Amino acid sequence: MKERVISTALILILNIILQSTLFQAIRIVNIMPNTSIIIIVSYALLRGRTEGAAVGCFSGILTDIFFGTSFGFYAFLGMMTGYICGRSFHNLYRENYILPIMISSAAVFIYENIIYFTGFLFKGNTEYFYFLIHLIIPEMVYTGVFSIIIYRLLFAVNDWLEQREKYRYRLF
Amino acid sequence: MKFFENYKKQILTVLAVVLVAASILTAGRTGNANFLESTLGFVITPLQKVTTNVSSFFGDKFSNIKNEKDLEKENEELKAEIERLERENKRLSLMDEENKKLSSLLEISQKYAAYDTTASQIIAKDPGNWYNIFVIDKGTKEGLSANMVLTAEGGLVGKITESGYTYSKGMSILDSRSSVSAMSVRTGDLGIVKGDYTLMNDGLCKMEYIDSDAEIMEGDEIITSHLSDIFPPGISIGTVKEIKTDSNGLTKYAIIEPHVDFKHLDTVLVISESGEMEETAKKASDNEEVSN
Repeated sequence: MKERVISTALILILNIILQSTLFQAIRIVNIMPNTSIIIIVSYALLRGRTEGAAVGCFSGILTDIFFGTSFGFYAFLGMMTGYICGRSFHNLYRENYILPIMISSAAVFIYENIIYFTGFLFKGNTEYFYFLIHLIIPEMVYTGVFSIIIYRLLFAVNDWLEQREKYRYRLF
Repeated sequence: MKFFENYKKQILTVLAVVLVAASILTAGRTGNANFLESTLGFVITPLQKVTTNVSSFFGDKFSNIKNEKDLEKENEELKAEIERLERENKRLSLMDEENKKLSSLLEISQKYAAYDTTASQIIAKDPGNWYNIFVIDKGTKEGLSANMVLTAEGGLVGKITESGYTYSKGMSILDSRSSVSAMSVRTGDLGIVKGDYTLMNDGLCKMEYIDSDAEIMEGDEIITSHLSDIFPPGISIGTVKEIKTDSNGLTKYAIIEPHVDFKHLDTVLVISESGEMEETAKKASDNEEVSN
């Protein structure tokens, strides 16, 4: 348990640091992949809805603190993403290669739409199709590509942790 | 742990409600960070600083190889520029003296007062695609606080929206939530410079609510106006690139090209009127003297 909490915290902190610094260099037409969504979705798929929600909440809190204007917005969005993904997709093979890509892209679509509706449409910005074509769809594609790598990495980390826990607690 | 397992759903629901309430209550707040935020910032900002410095080191090395030929030429140009600016500066300081004398004769206060400044490095940028927020490496420890103004290379960059102990959050004028009261130098027409998402990625912004009779033209210099209580008057923002009439026909808007290159921005200058930064620096040096 302790190892799992520490490794998750490290992964989330590393993610926010890389996203805000190094990954700025890999922006394509000013769009960068949403790696925090990939991590939330991966945790939801690998560990279920509760851990998905917890990881989403903490990753959102980090974004809120450093880049948000109100505290709790991204935390709520992240938590809901983790919870809904974990709840909806709890009975599928997690070894599958294609599903994480599709789920990450779909999660990005819903997540960014909520940001558009709350942050832009309510302020009178009605150019939805501009945002759809220039921001949401490119980000979905880019995130999908990145999810292949990140999901596999987290899958390996999770495997390693589960092996350790199996011996410690004499499960199975 | 057992408690958590049993009441999982209830805990999640309560947490969700609390987060929604918090995000509504804290929306649009400006102020300084709380203890939790400052502590997390204390841990994370040094790491961000290291990563930014390492990546910009390699980026510089890479571009140096490309640009070595141009350097000599650029150096000569810059020397000529310095000479020109020095001459200009001398002339302006004479005018400043004259201005002081004349305004003391007329008994009016100085319009463009001197400000405290401190340089700061941008250590992290917004990980999302919607907004234009960045983190700089100085905070309340150095006397910075919310609503201080950020400039770079002679142009306006934005303002600080929140200060932690070791870091501050800045919002650039390209962000769609930012608005700055501005005026044209030549004609004195007022307007509001706002960020716009469709222009943000090209590094441009928009000046709205210009009167339809205003004689503003392409190439006009835009500066901050005297109407704002955050931005001091007279900071240059950019030049007008294009003028368009709004669909209602009553007002015009202009597309502004800022003087600052937001894509390659890495250091900013923090400006404050109040002299807080000087006080903090003084206190720090006093403390050192005492400890010595």
